[in-house]
Amino acid sequence: MEFLSPVWPAAAAVRPPNKRLQGIQGARIALVDDNLDTAFTTHLEALLTERAGAKVRRLVKPSGTAPSPRELIEEAAAGTDAAVVGIGL
Amino acid sequence: MNLVSERLNVDDYEEAIELFYKRHWTDGLPVVLPTPRRVEALIEHVGRDPQESLGAIPPRGGEATLEKLAINAVMGGCQPEHFPVVLAAMEALLDPAHNLNGVSQTTHMCVSLIIVNGPIARELGFNSRDGVFGNGYRANAAVGRAVRLALWNLGGAFPWDTDKSTLSHPGEYAFCIAEEEEDNPWPPLHVERGCPPGSDAVTVFACEGPHSVFCYGTPEEMLHVLADSLQALGSNNIHVLGQTLVTLNPLNAEEFAKRGWSKQDVRMYLWEHARRPLAEVRACGVIHEQFRKMERDAGRYPLRYDLENPTTRLPVTASPEDIHIIVAGGRSYFAAVLPGWGGFGGFAVTRPIRRPR
Repeated sequence: MEFLSPVWPAAAAVRPPNKRLQGIQGARIALVDDNLDTAFTTHLEALLTERAGAKVRRLVKPSGTAPSPRELIEEAAAGTDAAVVGIGL
Repeated sequence: MNLVSERLNVDDYEEAIELFYKRHWTDGLPVVLPTPRRVEALIEHVGRDPQESLGAIPPRGGEATLEKLAINAVMGGCQPEHFPVVLAAMEALLDPAHNLNGVSQTTHMCVSLIIVNGPIARELGFNSRDGVFGNGYRANAAVGRAVRLALWNLGGAFPWDTDKSTLSHPGEYAFCIAEEEEDNPWPPLHVERGCPPGSDAVTVFACEGPHSVFCYGTPEEMLHVLADSLQALGSNNIHVLGQTLVTLNPLNAEEFAKRGWSKQDVRMYLWEHARRPLAEVRACGVIHEQFRKMERDAGRYPLRYDLENPTTRLPVTASPEDIHIIVAGGRSYFAAVLPGWGGFGGFAVTRPIRRPR
């Protein structure tokens, strides 16, 4: 009895993660504001810059409940050491 | 026919059914086996390239090729003539305006309802009358389940993983109805949304299950109870707007029409009267207020509603057009409201059904 698989094969390779940051002081961090809790994100930005000494570039997602546009992901990845891409609610 | 899916061979039917469970290829119910012959019949019926993709299904991003959709449609019980409805529903679900990614992963319990309009609904035996949200009709069940199985197997929205709904919804198995168009004095949903009269279309809208509304009497009496049901404090709409769905039964609609009420009259009345003072809404607690503030900060909660004045009367949607109204069910005392996810998404999207040439 023959039938067809309803799924796609699992991805063959998973890219290994980047090297972890050694510290936040002086690090270039993209902070993706997911447009859900602006006040919290502003507070986090202040903590990262004023207390931890990071260089933060804040980017705003159009919607907190939909994926980031590719351009925004590429902008977050360009010229930064790490990114904060969302907050949990 | 050029089919690219992996082919599996088993000795008997029982082994095949259990294989689907072992591999998590089913939603918990047994499936119809997607044999090459059955799958090819669906694709041949629509006369399209099996490798044509309608897009990537979130959250996992599996491509919705016609071949994979046909496999899942067979599993759900579809016959070839159901497949064009499945394809239109998938096109609507994958429109960014619906935000399927959010609908599939939210902690809220909304599920995308499929509403079928046009002559095809009657031709294929979709139920639009008594028991419309229930069981007993192959077209409703098979199309509804075909779509849910595609979201499962291609989208990868699993309750133990990416589907974060904390209570979820029985419509996760199948959530598909037709609108009653014959016993209905008003233009049907798809015509209101821009489709030509007499055409076939599917509308998707992410919502909770139907909440019963004991709705009988004069238009004013019916509107009184409908408005109260829409403004429930437990639903997202009163807190963060979005869209909502009202299902009137044919007798309700007839009573409205006899007294000169158009569907738009009903919609306007509900939008103006399904409101609560801010003080009552605030009494729900700080987290509701926080969400409201977030929506205001993000520019999604209109400034014309003063969120500091306790006498402000908050609506359930930002505009009257966000209250969708359909006619379905048995001629009776009962209507239903189906609240949406709020301003976060799941918004209604309509797509025409492409009949085979």
